Amino acid sequence: MSLIPQTPNTAKTRRAQFTRGLGLGMPIFLGYVPTGMAFGVIATSIGFSATQAIVCSATALAGAGQFIALNLMKERAAVLAVFTATTVVNLRYVLFGATLSPYLKGMSLPNQAILAFTLTDETFAVNVNDRRTGASTGASMAGVGAIAWTGWVAGAAAGAFAATLIGDPSRWGVEFAMPAMFTALLVALAEDRRHVLTAALAGLLAIGLPALAAIGIAIPSSWLIVLASMIAATVATVVFR
Amino acid sequence: MSHDAYIWSIIILMALANFTLRFVPIAIVSRLNLPEPFTRWLSYVPASVMGALVAGEVLRPGGEYLLTLRNPYLLAAIPTAFIYHRTRSFLGASVAGMIIFVGIRALLV
Repeated sequence: MSLIPQTPNTAKTRRAQFTRGLGLGMPIFLGYVPTGMAFGVIATSIGFSATQAIVCSATALAGAGQFIALNLMKERAAVLAVFTATTVVNLRYVLFGATLSPYLKGMSLPNQAILAFTLTDETFAVNVNDRRTGASTGASMAGVGAIAWTGWVAGAAAGAFAATLIGDPSRWGVEFAMPAMFTALLVALAEDRRHVLTAALAGLLAIGLPALAAIGIAIPSSWLIVLASMIAATVATVVFR
Repeated sequence: MSHDAYIWSIIILMALANFTLRFVPIAIVSRLNLPEPFTRWLSYVPASVMGALVAGEVLRPGGEYLLTLRNPYLLAAIPTAFIYHRTRSFLGASVAGMIIFVGIRALLV
């Protein structure tokens, strides 16, 4: 099936793949800088030093997880409560990690650790999509991760140091940066009828499940994505034999 | 605990939690031979996750239902999807989507 010639995995090829990954990750960078800025601005407003805001973004690299933490810290929630909330909202990484695993067979633990560290919704989707076309390698995934990390940390730094200069970031349409990228990634990943239907079911569930609150079943918003996608994938596995 | 120590302890715990959640499944699952139904299940995960994320971001922005035609997220997501479909460029589609979003939002006010 693959018509791509097998190139020897030399240092030169690896560097070329890494550079290709940087290019693939460029839209992630563009989306992360403004979102990271928003994190930097809010974090410093609730008492983070600029260093703390930057270190937090550099070590956690967890968009939603970090914003939820800020929300709870604003009210001085217990350390354990903040820790639990950010863990739960990022449980989907378990799912992502398992999904990527077949691609990462035979890779050394340190290399897997680097890729794991930069695993986010966006790097996951870009790498999975790249993998589908047969081009993805460990080096290209590292490139995607590196550019995403850089954008997220640079954004946090800009937000923390220049909060007053930036003003209201929503002026620039920043709140649509992530939805726009997710929309494009959805189109890329829903490649055939089965995947389109599965994605549609997951979408319906993500919208429908919160409405269950009306009959007393309140699903924490941090569980919605995990729950909706696991149900949809299960239905697809059973129905599409 | 001082506010500074409070913030640092959360930063450290968050870093540990996020790395563990991402690394452990990769380290373990990549060393197993998964049974066929499970690999098939995993093959549906990426499209499912994106479907759930897009629906949530577009129809429930900020966790509030916005099921109307005056929803700038919805009105901008449609051309964004179309642009990606035609150009296959994530960068182009994302930037175009943000511009369209700002434009639509200005028109709706």
